Amino acid sequence: MDFLLLLVSTGLVTGAAYGLIAMGFALVYKATGVVNFAQGELMMLTAYVSFSVADRTGLSFLMLMALTIPISMAIGLLLERIFIRPMLGEPVFSIVMVTIGLAVILRGLVILVWGPDPAVFDVGLPDTVIRLGPVPFYPAQLVLVAAMAGVTTIAWIFLRFSRIGIAMRAVAANETAARLSGISVSRIHAFAWMFSSAIASIAGVLFAANFKLAPDMWFQGMKSFPAVILGGLDSVIGASVAGLVIGVVENLFQGYVGQGMREISGFIVIVVVLMVRPYGLFGSREIERV
Amino acid sequence: MLSLANVQVVYGRAIEAVRDVSLEVEAGAIVALLGSNGAGKSTLLKAISGVLHPEGGEIVGGTVTFLGEEIGRATPDDIVRRGLIQVPEGRALFATLTVEENLLMGGFTRRRSEVAEGLDRVYALFPRVHERRHEISGYLSGGEQQMVAIGRALMGRPRLVMLDEPSLGLAPQIIDGIFETIVTLNREEKLTVLLIEQNAQLALEVASFGYIIENGRIVLDGAAEKLRANDDVQEFYLGMSGGARKSMRDVKHYKRRKRWLS
Ligand SMILES: Nc1ncnc2c1ncn2[C@@H]1O[C@H](COP(=O)(O)OP(=O)(O)OP(=O)(O)O)[C@@H](O)[C@H]1O
Ligand SMILES: [Mg+2]
Repeated sequence: MDFLLLLVSTGLVTGAAYGLIAMGFALVYKATGVVNFAQGELMMLTAYVSFSVADRTGLSFLMLMALTIPISMAIGLLLERIFIRPMLGEPVFSIVMVTIGLAVILRGLVILVWGPDPAVFDVGLPDTVIRLGPVPFYPAQLVLVAAMAGVTTIAWIFLRFSRIGIAMRAVAANETAARLSGISVSRIHAFAWMFSSAIASIAGVLFAANFKLAPDMWFQGMKSFPAVILGGLDSVIGASVAGLVIGVVENLFQGYVGQGMREISGFIVIVVVLMVRPYGLFGSREIERV
Repeated sequence: MLSLANVQVVYGRAIEAVRDVSLEVEAGAIVALLGSNGAGKSTLLKAISGVLHPEGGEIVGGTVTFLGEEIGRATPDDIVRRGLIQVPEGRALFATLTVEENLLMGGFTRRRSEVAEGLDRVYALFPRVHERRHEISGYLSGGEQQMVAIGRALMGRPRLVMLDEPSLGLAPQIIDGIFETIVTLNREEKLTVLLIEQNAQLALEVASFGYIIENGRIVLDGAAEKLRANDDVQEFYLGMSGGARKSMRDVKHYKRRKRWLS
Protein backbone atom coordinates (compact mmCIF):
# COMPACT_ATOMS: atom_id res chain seq x y z
CA MET A 1 0.00 0.00 0.00
CA ASP A 2 1.02 3.55 -0.64
CA PHE A 3 3.38 4.64 2.17
CA LEU A 4 2.36 8.30 1.92
CA LEU A 5 -1.33 7.48 2.09
CA LEU A 6 -0.77 5.39 5.19
CA LEU A 7 1.23 8.15 6.88
CA VAL A 8 -1.43 10.73 6.06
CA SER A 9 -4.35 8.61 7.22
CA THR A 10 -2.81 7.57 10.53
CA GLY A 11 -1.67 11.18 10.91
CA LEU A 12 -5.26 12.29 10.55
CA VAL A 13 -6.26 9.94 13.37
CA THR A 14 -3.68 11.28 15.85
CA GLY A 15 -4.41 14.74 14.48
CA ALA A 16 -8.09 14.32 15.31
CA ALA A 17 -7.14 13.64 18.93
CA TYR A 18 -4.88 16.72 18.98
CA GLY A 19 -7.66 18.75 17.40
CA LEU A 20 -10.23 17.74 20.01
CA ILE A 21 -7.89 18.48 22.88
CA ALA A 22 -6.86 21.77 21.31
CA MET A 23 -10.50 22.79 20.93
CA GLY A 24 -10.92 22.41 24.68
CA PHE A 25 -7.95 24.72 25.25
CA ALA A 26 -9.24 27.26 22.73
CA LEU A 27 -12.78 27.35 24.12
CA VAL A 28 -11.63 28.19 27.63
CA TYR A 29 -9.02 30.63 26.35
CA LYS A 30 -11.53 32.36 24.14
CA ALA A 31 -14.11 32.91 26.85
CA THR A 32 -11.86 33.48 29.86
CA GLY A 33 -8.50 34.62 28.51
CA VAL A 34 -6.77 31.86 30.46
CA VAL A 35 -4.75 28.98 29.07
CA ASN A 36 -5.99 26.04 31.07
CA PHE A 37 -2.86 23.98 31.61
CA ALA A 38 -4.99 21.24 33.17
CA GLN A 39 -6.79 20.50 29.88
CA GLY A 40 -4.77 17.33 29.26
CA GLU A 41 -5.37 16.21 32.85
CA LEU A 42 -9.07 16.95 32.47
CA MET A 43 -9.07 14.70 29.43
CA MET A 44 -7.32 11.97 31.40
CA LEU A 45 -9.61 12.29 34.43
CA THR A 46 -12.82 12.15 32.40
CA ALA A 47 -11.47 9.16 30.44
CA TYR A 48 -10.80 7.31 33.70
CA VAL A 49 -14.23 8.18 35.05
CA SER A 50 -15.75 6.88 31.82
CA PHE A 51 -13.61 3.75 32.21
CA SER A 52 -15.11 3.11 35.64
CA VAL A 53 -18.60 3.66 34.29
CA ALA A 54 -17.96 1.22 31.42
CA ASP A 55 -16.44 -1.29 33.83
CA ARG A 56 -19.53 -1.31 36.04
CA THR A 57 -22.23 -1.10 33.39
CA GLY A 58 -20.77 -2.63 30.19
CA LEU A 59 -22.72 -0.10 28.15
CA SER A 60 -22.57 0.18 24.37
CA PHE A 61 -20.36 2.95 23.02
CA LEU A 62 -23.10 5.49 22.38
CA MET A 63 -24.76 4.88 25.75
CA LEU A 64 -21.38 5.17 27.42
CA MET A 65 -20.78 8.57 25.80
CA ALA A 66 -24.33 9.67 26.61
CA LEU A 67 -23.44 9.09 30.25
CA THR A 68 -19.81 10.23 30.14
CA ILE A 69 -20.48 13.63 28.60
CA PRO A 70 -22.93 14.94 31.24
CA ILE A 71 -20.74 13.58 34.05
CA SER A 72 -17.75 15.36 32.54
CA MET A 73 -19.71 18.59 32.22
CA ALA A 74 -20.51 18.36 35.92
CA ILE A 75 -16.81 17.78 36.66
CA GLY A 76 -15.88 20.83 34.57
CA LEU A 77 -18.43 22.99 36.40
CA LEU A 78 -17.24 21.75 39.75
CA LEU A 79 -13.56 22.40 39.02
CA GLU A 80 -14.37 25.88 37.72
CA ARG A 81 -16.38 26.59 40.83
CA ILE A 82 -13.73 25.39 43.25
CA PHE A 83 -10.50 26.51 41.58
CA ILE A 84 -11.29 29.26 39.10
CA ARG A 85 -14.30 31.22 40.33
CA PRO A 86 -12.60 32.40 43.52
CA MET A 87 -9.81 33.80 41.32
CA LEU A 88 -12.14 36.11 39.40
CA GLY A 89 -10.55 39.53 39.10
CA GLU A 90 -7.06 38.25 39.90
CA PRO A 91 -4.29 38.71 37.30
CA VAL A 92 -4.42 36.19 34.44
CA PHE A 93 -0.98 34.95 35.41
CA SER A 94 -2.20 33.88 38.86
CA ILE A 95 -5.12 32.03 37.34
CA VAL A 96 -2.81 30.23 34.93
CA MET A 97 -0.69 29.20 37.93
CA VAL A 98 -3.84 27.80 39.54
CA THR A 99 -4.52 25.68 36.45
CA ILE A 100 -0.97 24.34 36.64
CA GLY A 101 -1.58 23.45 40.27
CA LEU A 102 -4.86 21.85 39.32
CA ALA A 103 -3.04 19.79 36.68
CA VAL A 104 -0.66 18.37 39.26
CA ILE A 105 -3.51 17.61 41.64
CA LEU A 106 -5.48 15.77 38.95
CA ARG A 107 -2.45 13.68 37.95
CA GLY A 108 -2.02 12.62 41.57
CA LEU A 109 -5.72 11.97 41.96
CA VAL A 110 -5.83 9.65 38.95
CA ILE A 111 -2.93 7.55 40.24
CA LEU A 112 -4.42 7.52 43.73
CA VAL A 113 -7.81 6.26 42.55
CA TRP A 114 -6.96 4.07 39.57
CA GLY A 115 -3.36 3.08 40.24
CA PRO A 116 -0.20 3.65 38.20
CA ASP A 117 -0.58 0.80 35.69
CA PRO A 118 -2.06 1.19 32.21
CA ALA A 119 -5.48 -0.38 31.70
CA VAL A 120 -7.35 -1.69 28.70
CA PHE A 121 -10.40 0.43 28.13
CA ASP A 122 -13.09 -1.43 26.20
CA VAL A 123 -15.32 1.37 25.00
CA GLY A 124 -17.72 -1.04 23.32
CA LEU A 125 -16.54 -0.63 19.74
CA PRO A 126 -15.86 -3.65 17.49
CA ASP A 127 -12.31 -4.69 16.45
CA THR A 128 -13.08 -5.60 12.85
CA VAL A 129 -10.89 -3.72 10.38
CA ILE A 130 -12.74 -1.48 7.96
CA ARG A 131 -11.19 -0.67 4.58
CA LEU A 132 -11.70 2.76 3.10
CA GLY A 133 -10.22 2.27 -0.36
CA PRO A 134 -6.74 0.86 0.16
CA VAL A 135 -6.42 2.06 3.76
CA PRO A 136 -7.40 -0.17 6.68
CA PHE A 137 -8.88 1.46 9.77
CA TYR A 138 -10.05 0.26 13.14
CA PRO A 139 -13.57 1.43 13.98
CA ALA A 140 -12.20 3.39 16.94
CA GLN A 141 -9.97 5.37 14.56
CA LEU A 142 -12.86 6.26 12.31
CA VAL A 143 -15.04 7.17 15.29
CA LEU A 144 -12.30 9.48 16.54
CA VAL A 145 -12.10 11.30 13.23
CA ALA A 146 -15.89 11.44 12.94
CA ALA A 147 -16.22 12.72 16.51
CA MET A 148 -13.78 15.47 15.74
CA ALA A 149 -15.69 16.48 12.64
CA GLY A 150 -18.95 16.36 14.58
CA VAL A 151 -17.69 18.36 17.54
CA THR A 152 -16.14 20.95 15.22
CA THR A 153 -19.42 21.41 13.38
CA ILE A 154 -21.45 21.65 16.59
CA ALA A 155 -18.95 24.10 18.07
CA TRP A 156 -19.12 26.25 14.96
CA ILE A 157 -22.92 26.36 14.97
CA PHE A 158 -22.98 26.97 18.71
CA LEU A 159 -20.51 29.87 18.65
CA ARG A 160 -22.05 31.41 15.60
CA PHE A 161 -25.75 31.23 16.30
CA SER A 162 -26.62 30.37 19.90
CA ARG A 163 -27.21 33.05 22.48
CA ILE A 164 -24.66 31.61 24.88
CA GLY A 165 -22.18 31.06 22.04
CA ILE A 166 -22.39 34.68 20.87
CA ALA A 167 -22.15 35.76 24.50
CA MET A 168 -18.89 33.79 24.80
CA ARG A 169 -17.46 35.73 21.89
CA ALA A 170 -18.80 38.96 23.38
CA VAL A 171 -17.08 38.26 26.69
CA ALA A 172 -13.88 37.52 24.79
CA ALA A 173 -14.20 40.79 22.87
CA ASN A 174 -14.95 43.09 25.79
CA GLU A 175 -15.62 41.85 29.28
CA THR A 176 -16.79 45.14 30.76
CA ALA A 177 -19.14 45.79 27.87
CA ALA A 178 -20.49 42.27 28.33
CA ARG A 179 -21.23 43.00 31.97
CA LEU A 180 -22.89 46.27 31.01
CA SER A 181 -25.11 44.32 28.60
CA GLY A 182 -26.31 42.12 31.43
CA ILE A 183 -24.21 39.09 30.54
CA SER A 184 -23.04 37.31 33.67
CA VAL A 185 -19.36 36.86 32.87
CA SER A 186 -18.80 34.27 35.58
CA ARG A 187 -21.63 32.16 34.20
CA ILE A 188 -20.12 32.35 30.72
CA HIS A 189 -16.77 31.25 32.18
CA ALA A 190 -18.52 28.33 33.85
CA PHE A 191 -20.17 27.38 30.55
CA ALA A 192 -16.79 27.44 28.81
CA TRP A 193 -15.33 25.06 31.38
CA MET A 194 -18.35 22.84 31.12
CA PHE A 195 -18.21 22.54 27.33
CA SER A 196 -14.46 22.23 27.22
CA SER A 197 -14.70 19.43 29.74
CA ALA A 198 -17.28 17.68 27.55
CA ILE A 199 -14.92 17.92 24.59
CA ALA A 200 -12.06 16.69 26.79
CA SER A 201 -14.05 13.58 27.70
CA ILE A 202 -14.76 12.75 24.06
CA ALA A 203 -11.07 13.20 23.29
CA GLY A 204 -10.05 11.17 26.34
CA VAL A 205 -12.30 8.18 25.77
CA LEU A 206 -11.44 7.95 22.08
CA PHE A 207 -7.73 8.45 22.69
CA ALA A 208 -7.82 5.66 25.26
CA ALA A 209 -9.75 3.46 22.84
CA ASN A 210 -7.16 4.03 20.11
CA PHE A 211 -3.99 4.04 22.13
CA LYS A 212 -4.12 3.29 25.85
CA LEU A 213 -5.54 4.36 29.15
CA ALA A 214 -2.63 5.27 31.39
CA PRO A 215 -1.79 7.92 33.98
CA ASP A 216 0.64 9.57 31.57
CA MET A 217 -2.14 10.41 29.15
CA TRP A 218 -2.10 14.01 30.35
CA PHE A 219 1.01 14.48 28.25
CA GLN A 220 -1.23 14.53 25.18
CA GLY A 221 -2.34 17.94 26.45
CA MET A 222 1.22 19.23 26.02
CA LYS A 223 1.55 17.51 22.67
CA SER A 224 -1.60 19.26 21.47
CA PHE A 225 -0.13 22.62 22.27
CA PRO A 226 1.36 23.23 18.82
CA ALA A 227 -2.13 22.77 17.43
CA VAL A 228 -3.53 25.31 19.88
CA ILE A 229 -0.93 27.90 18.91
CA LEU A 230 -1.16 27.11 15.22
CA GLY A 231 -4.93 27.43 15.33
CA GLY A 232 -4.59 30.85 16.86
CA LEU A 233 -5.23 30.14 20.55
CA ASP A 234 -8.68 31.69 20.57
CA SER A 235 -10.11 29.99 17.51
CA VAL A 236 -12.03 26.84 18.33
CA ILE A 237 -12.43 25.86 14.70
CA GLY A 238 -8.82 26.78 13.97
CA ALA A 239 -7.69 24.47 16.77
CA SER A 240 -9.44 21.50 15.23
CA VAL A 241 -8.04 22.10 11.74
CA ALA A 242 -4.59 22.77 13.18
CA GLY A 243 -4.78 19.49 15.09
CA LEU A 244 -5.17 17.60 11.83
CA VAL A 245 -2.32 19.55 10.24
CA ILE A 246 0.03 18.81 13.14
CA GLY A 247 -0.96 15.13 13.23
CA VAL A 248 -0.20 14.68 9.53
CA VAL A 249 3.00 16.72 9.62
CA GLU A 250 4.32 14.71 12.57
CA ASN A 251 3.68 11.47 10.75
CA LEU A 252 5.32 12.69 7.56
CA PHE A 253 8.40 13.88 9.44
CA GLN A 254 8.63 10.55 11.20
CA GLY A 255 8.15 8.60 7.99
CA TYR A 256 10.50 10.53 5.75
CA VAL A 257 13.00 12.20 8.08
CA GLY A 258 13.35 10.00 11.10
CA GLN A 259 11.91 8.89 14.41
CA GLY A 260 13.31 11.68 16.58
CA MET A 261 11.84 14.32 14.29
CA ARG A 262 8.30 13.42 15.26
CA GLU A 263 8.45 15.10 18.63
CA ILE A 264 9.86 18.38 17.42
CA SER A 265 8.14 18.68 14.07
CA GLY A 266 5.00 20.20 15.55
CA PHE A 267 7.01 22.93 17.14
CA ILE A 268 8.94 23.54 13.92
CA VAL A 269 5.62 24.05 12.16
CA ILE A 270 4.40 26.61 14.66
CA VAL A 271 7.62 28.57 14.59
CA VAL A 272 7.44 28.76 10.81
CA VAL A 273 3.74 29.63 10.73
CA LEU A 274 3.96 32.23 13.47
CA MET A 275 6.71 34.01 11.57
CA VAL A 276 4.33 34.41 8.67
CA ARG A 277 1.05 34.77 10.56
CA PRO A 278 1.57 35.97 14.14
CA TYR A 279 -2.09 35.30 15.01
CA GLY A 280 -1.95 31.67 13.95
CA LEU A 281 -3.94 30.29 11.07
CA PHE A 282 -7.34 31.37 12.35
CA GLY A 283 -6.70 33.58 15.37
CA SER A 284 -8.34 36.94 15.54
CA ARG A 285 -6.03 39.86 15.22
CA GLU A 286 -6.98 42.79 17.41
CA ILE A 287 -9.35 45.13 15.69
CA GLU A 288 -8.14 48.58 16.53
CA ARG A 289 -10.20 51.43 15.32
CA VAL A 290 -11.70 54.34 17.14
CA MET B 1 -35.86 57.58 39.76
CA LEU B 2 -32.13 57.24 40.36
CA SER B 3 -30.69 58.77 43.46
CA LEU B 4 -27.20 58.75 44.90
CA ALA B 5 -26.56 59.75 48.49
CA ASN B 6 -23.05 60.51 49.71
CA VAL B 7 -21.45 57.96 47.42
CA GLN B 8 -17.75 57.38 47.89
CA VAL B 9 -15.63 55.25 45.54
CA VAL B 10 -12.11 54.04 46.16
CA TYR B 11 -9.74 52.27 43.76
CA GLY B 12 -7.25 49.75 45.08
CA ARG B 13 -8.30 50.49 48.67
CA ALA B 14 -6.33 53.75 48.45
CA ILE B 15 -7.21 56.16 45.66
CA GLU B 16 -10.41 58.03 46.33
CA ALA B 17 -11.92 58.81 42.92
CA VAL B 18 -15.40 59.86 44.02
CA ARG B 19 -16.21 61.38 47.36
CA ASP B 20 -19.51 62.22 48.91
CA VAL B 21 -21.50 62.52 45.69
CA SER B 22 -25.26 62.99 45.94
CA LEU B 23 -27.42 63.41 42.89
CA GLU B 24 -30.92 62.86 41.71
CA VAL B 25 -32.32 61.92 38.31
CA GLU B 26 -36.08 62.44 38.08
CA ALA B 27 -38.15 60.16 35.84
CA GLY B 28 -38.50 61.59 32.34
CA ALA B 29 -35.67 64.08 32.70
CA ILE B 30 -32.38 64.55 30.89
CA VAL B 31 -29.78 65.30 33.53
CA ALA B 32 -26.25 66.34 32.62
CA LEU B 33 -23.14 65.49 34.62
CA LEU B 34 -20.27 67.69 33.55
CA GLY B 35 -16.62 67.65 34.44
CA SER B 36 -13.15 67.70 32.97
CA ASN B 37 -10.71 64.81 32.51
CA GLY B 38 -10.23 62.67 35.55
CA ALA B 39 -13.06 64.32 37.50
CA GLY B 40 -14.61 60.96 38.32
CA LYS B 41 -17.52 60.88 35.87
CA SER B 42 -16.89 57.45 34.42
CA THR B 43 -16.06 56.09 37.84
CA LEU B 44 -19.45 57.23 39.07
CA LEU B 45 -21.23 55.51 36.18
CA LYS B 46 -19.27 52.31 36.73
CA ALA B 47 -20.26 52.44 40.38
CA ILE B 48 -23.93 52.80 39.46
CA SER B 49 -23.70 49.90 36.96
CA GLY B 50 -21.92 47.68 39.45
CA VAL B 51 -18.83 47.10 37.30
CA LEU B 52 -16.15 48.62 39.53
CA HIS B 53 -14.97 45.38 41.01
CA PRO B 54 -12.93 44.02 38.05
CA GLU B 55 -11.03 47.32 37.97
CA GLY B 56 -10.23 47.14 41.64
CA GLY B 57 -12.77 49.77 42.59
CA GLU B 58 -15.33 49.66 45.35
CA ILE B 59 -18.21 51.73 46.69
CA VAL B 60 -17.10 52.30 50.27
CA GLY B 61 -19.82 54.66 51.39
CA GLY B 62 -23.26 56.00 50.59
CA THR B 63 -26.25 54.53 48.83
CA VAL B 64 -27.40 54.11 45.24
CA THR B 65 -31.16 53.79 44.85
CA PHE B 66 -33.03 53.00 41.65
CA LEU B 67 -36.83 52.95 41.54
CA GLY B 68 -36.91 52.93 45.30
CA GLU B 69 -34.57 49.98 45.75
CA GLU B 70 -30.99 49.99 46.92
CA ILE B 71 -28.73 48.66 44.16
CA GLY B 72 -25.31 49.42 45.61
CA ARG B 73 -24.57 45.71 46.03
CA ALA B 74 -26.50 44.39 43.03
CA THR B 75 -24.75 42.48 40.24
CA PRO B 76 -24.38 44.19 36.84
CA ASP B 77 -26.86 41.84 35.15
CA ASP B 78 -29.42 42.49 37.87
CA ILE B 79 -28.99 46.23 37.38
CA VAL B 80 -29.48 45.86 33.62
CA ARG B 81 -32.62 43.79 34.20
CA ARG B 82 -34.03 46.56 36.35
CA GLY B 83 -33.74 48.88 33.36
CA LEU B 84 -30.67 50.91 34.30
CA ILE B 85 -28.32 50.66 31.34
CA GLN B 86 -25.07 52.37 30.45
CA VAL B 87 -23.56 53.29 27.10
CA PRO B 88 -19.89 53.20 28.07
CA GLU B 89 -17.21 55.71 27.23
CA GLY B 90 -15.57 55.17 23.85
CA ARG B 91 -18.45 52.96 22.68
CA ALA B 92 -16.87 49.69 23.85
CA LEU B 93 -18.50 47.60 21.15
CA PHE B 94 -17.79 43.90 20.84
CA ALA B 95 -15.36 44.72 18.04
CA THR B 96 -15.06 41.20 16.62
CA LEU B 97 -18.83 40.68 16.50
CA THR B 98 -21.14 41.87 13.75
CA VAL B 99 -23.38 44.87 14.31
CA GLU B 100 -26.44 42.67 14.71
CA GLU B 101 -24.64 40.36 17.15
CA ASN B 102 -23.78 43.44 19.23
CA LEU B 103 -27.45 44.37 19.31
CA LEU B 104 -28.50 40.81 20.17
CA MET B 105 -26.13 40.87 23.13
CA GLY B 106 -27.71 44.14 24.27
CA GLY B 107 -30.91 42.12 24.56
CA PHE B 108 -29.22 39.28 26.43
CA THR B 109 -31.44 39.73 29.48
CA ARG B 110 -34.63 39.95 27.41
CA ARG B 111 -37.03 37.38 26.03
CA ARG B 112 -36.85 36.29 22.40
CA SER B 113 -39.96 38.24 21.40
CA GLU B 114 -38.66 41.39 23.08
CA VAL B 115 -35.34 41.01 21.28
CA ALA B 116 -37.06 40.79 17.88
CA GLU B 117 -39.10 43.87 18.71
CA GLY B 118 -36.01 45.68 19.93
CA LEU B 119 -34.13 44.99 16.70
CA ASP B 120 -36.97 46.48 14.64
CA ARG B 121 -37.02 49.51 16.87
CA VAL B 122 -33.27 50.13 16.71
CA TYR B 123 -33.19 49.65 12.93
CA ALA B 124 -36.07 52.10 12.54
CA LEU B 125 -34.23 54.60 14.72
CA PHE B 126 -30.89 54.16 12.92
CA PRO B 127 -31.36 53.15 9.26
CA ARG B 128 -27.59 53.35 8.88
CA VAL B 129 -27.16 50.62 11.48
CA HIS B 130 -29.65 48.47 9.59
CA GLU B 131 -27.61 48.87 6.40
CA ARG B 132 -24.47 47.73 8.14
CA ARG B 133 -25.96 45.04 10.35
CA HIS B 134 -23.90 42.17 8.92
CA GLU B 135 -20.55 43.96 9.16
CA ILE B 136 -17.94 43.47 11.85
CA SER B 137 -18.64 46.33 14.23
CA GLY B 138 -14.96 47.10 14.80
CA TYR B 139 -14.63 48.38 11.25
CA LEU B 140 -17.48 50.90 11.46
CA SER B 141 -16.86 54.66 11.64
CA GLY B 142 -16.95 56.34 15.03
CA GLY B 143 -20.41 57.78 14.47
CA GLU B 144 -21.82 54.48 13.34
CA GLN B 145 -20.23 52.78 16.33
CA GLN B 146 -21.88 55.25 18.68
CA MET B 147 -25.24 54.48 17.10
CA VAL B 148 -24.64 50.77 17.59
CA ALA B 149 -23.63 51.39 21.21
CA ILE B 150 -26.83 53.33 21.86
CA GLY B 151 -28.85 50.72 19.98
CA ARG B 152 -27.25 47.95 22.04
CA ALA B 153 -28.30 49.73 25.24
CA LEU B 154 -31.84 50.22 23.93
CA MET B 155 -32.07 46.47 23.25
CA GLY B 156 -32.04 45.94 27.01
CA ARG B 157 -35.24 48.04 27.32
CA PRO B 158 -33.82 50.67 29.63
CA ARG B 159 -35.96 52.96 31.75
CA LEU B 160 -32.92 55.09 32.42
CA VAL B 161 -29.96 55.20 30.10
CA MET B 162 -26.59 56.61 31.15
CA LEU B 163 -24.42 57.91 28.32
CA ASP B 164 -20.72 58.38 29.00
CA GLU B 165 -19.42 61.10 26.68
CA PRO B 166 -21.34 60.15 23.54
CA SER B 167 -19.72 63.03 21.65
CA LEU B 168 -16.18 61.77 22.26
CA GLY B 169 -14.09 61.95 19.11
CA LEU B 170 -16.99 62.61 16.74
CA ALA B 171 -17.46 65.32 14.11
CA PRO B 172 -19.92 68.13 15.04
CA GLN B 173 -22.48 67.02 12.46
CA ILE B 174 -22.50 63.47 13.77
CA ILE B 175 -22.76 64.72 17.34
CA ASP B 176 -25.84 66.76 16.41
CA GLY B 177 -27.48 63.64 15.02
CA ILE B 178 -26.69 61.63 18.15
CA PHE B 179 -28.02 64.35 20.45
CA GLU B 180 -31.16 64.70 18.37
CA THR B 181 -31.77 60.99 18.79
CA ILE B 182 -31.30 61.28 22.54
CA VAL B 183 -33.83 64.08 22.75
CA THR B 184 -36.29 62.17 20.56
CA LEU B 185 -36.01 59.08 22.74
CA ASN B 186 -36.56 61.22 25.82
CA ARG B 187 -39.60 63.04 24.43
CA GLU B 188 -41.32 60.25 22.57
CA GLU B 189 -40.46 57.19 24.57
CA LYS B 190 -40.19 58.81 27.98
CA LEU B 191 -36.65 57.53 28.32
CA THR B 192 -34.87 59.07 31.29
CA VAL B 193 -31.28 60.09 30.54
CA LEU B 194 -28.18 60.74 32.59
CA LEU B 195 -25.78 62.40 30.18
CA ILE B 196 -22.08 62.68 30.91
CA GLU B 197 -20.17 65.23 28.92
CA GLN B 198 -17.09 67.37 28.81
CA ASN B 199 -18.84 69.40 26.19
CA ALA B 200 -21.01 71.48 28.53
CA GLN B 201 -22.41 73.64 25.76
CA LEU B 202 -24.07 70.70 24.08
CA ALA B 203 -25.16 68.93 27.22
CA LEU B 204 -26.78 71.97 28.81
CA GLU B 205 -28.76 72.59 25.63
CA VAL B 206 -30.61 69.28 25.91
CA ALA B 207 -30.60 68.76 29.68
CA SER B 208 -33.05 70.25 32.13
CA PHE B 209 -30.74 69.94 35.11
CA GLY B 210 -27.00 69.66 35.52
CA TYR B 211 -24.29 68.72 37.98
CA ILE B 212 -20.67 69.73 37.80
CA ILE B 213 -18.11 67.34 39.22
CA GLU B 214 -14.49 68.09 40.01
CA ASN B 215 -11.92 65.96 41.75
CA GLY B 216 -14.61 63.47 42.64
CA ARG B 217 -16.96 66.01 44.22
CA ILE B 218 -20.10 67.72 43.00
CA VAL B 219 -19.11 71.37 43.10
CA LEU B 220 -22.17 72.94 41.55
CA ASP B 221 -25.65 71.95 40.47
CA GLY B 222 -28.78 73.62 39.17
CA ALA B 223 -31.26 73.99 36.37
CA ALA B 224 -29.59 73.90 32.97
CA GLU B 225 -30.41 77.49 32.04
CA LYS B 226 -29.05 78.68 35.40
CA LEU B 227 -25.82 76.80 34.87
CA ARG B 228 -25.50 78.22 31.39
CA ALA B 229 -25.86 81.69 32.85
CA ASN B 230 -23.39 81.07 35.66
CA ASP B 231 -20.18 83.06 35.15
CA ASP B 232 -17.88 80.29 36.31
CA VAL B 233 -19.51 77.71 34.12
CA GLN B 234 -19.27 80.11 31.24
CA GLU B 235 -15.63 80.69 31.90
CA PHE B 236 -14.52 77.13 32.54
CA TYR B 237 -16.86 74.92 30.63
CA LEU B 238 -18.34 77.03 27.88
CA GLY B 239 -15.08 78.80 27.11
CA MET B 240 -16.83 82.17 26.92
CA SER B 241 -14.24 84.48 28.41
CA GLY B 242 -10.89 83.18 27.26
CA GLY B 243 -8.14 83.37 29.86
CA ALA B 244 -6.13 80.59 31.38
CA ARG B 245 -8.14 77.57 32.40
CA LYS B 246 -7.99 77.42 36.13
CA SER B 247 -9.78 75.04 38.38
CA MET B 248 -13.24 75.88 39.63
CA ARG B 249 -11.88 75.77 43.16
CA ASP B 250 -9.61 78.73 42.54
CA VAL B 251 -12.54 80.98 41.82
CA LYS B 252 -12.96 83.18 44.83
CA HIS B 253 -16.55 84.27 44.44
CA TYR B 254 -17.55 80.77 43.80
CA LYS B 255 -20.20 79.49 46.17
CA ARG B 256 -19.37 75.97 47.13
CA ARG B 257 -22.49 74.06 47.78
CA LYS B 258 -22.56 72.60 51.24
CA ARG B 259 -24.15 69.20 50.97
CA TRP B 260 -24.55 68.84 54.69
CA LEU B 261 -26.82 71.86 54.76
CA SER B 262 -29.14 70.75 52.01
N1 LIG C 1 -8.92 51.44 37.54
C1 LIG C 1 -8.47 52.52 38.19
N2 LIG C 1 -7.55 52.39 39.17
C2 LIG C 1 -7.07 53.47 39.82
N3 LIG C 1 -7.48 54.73 39.60
C3 LIG C 1 -8.39 54.94 38.64
C4 LIG C 1 -8.94 53.85 37.88
N4 LIG C 1 -9.83 54.35 37.01
C5 LIG C 1 -9.84 55.68 37.19
N5 LIG C 1 -8.98 56.05 38.17
C6 LIG C 1 -8.74 57.41 38.66
O1 LIG C 1 -9.96 57.94 39.12
C7 LIG C 1 -10.09 59.29 38.74
C8 LIG C 1 -11.37 59.47 37.96
O2 LIG C 1 -11.31 58.79 36.72
P1 LIG C 1 -12.53 58.72 35.73
O3 LIG C 1 -12.19 57.80 34.64
O4 LIG C 1 -13.76 58.42 36.50
O5 LIG C 1 -12.59 60.22 35.20
P2 LIG C 1 -13.54 60.87 34.11
O6 LIG C 1 -14.22 62.00 34.76
O7 LIG C 1 -14.40 59.85 33.48
O8 LIG C 1 -12.48 61.43 33.07
P3 LIG C 1 -12.52 61.48 31.47
O9 LIG C 1 -13.32 62.68 31.11
O10 LIG C 1 -11.10 61.63 31.09
O11 LIG C 1 -13.14 60.23 30.99
C9 LIG C 1 -8.85 59.63 37.93
O12 LIG C 1 -7.97 60.29 38.79
C10 LIG C 1 -8.29 58.30 37.53
O13 LIG C 1 -6.89 58.36 37.44
MG1 LIG D 1 -14.58 59.12 31.64
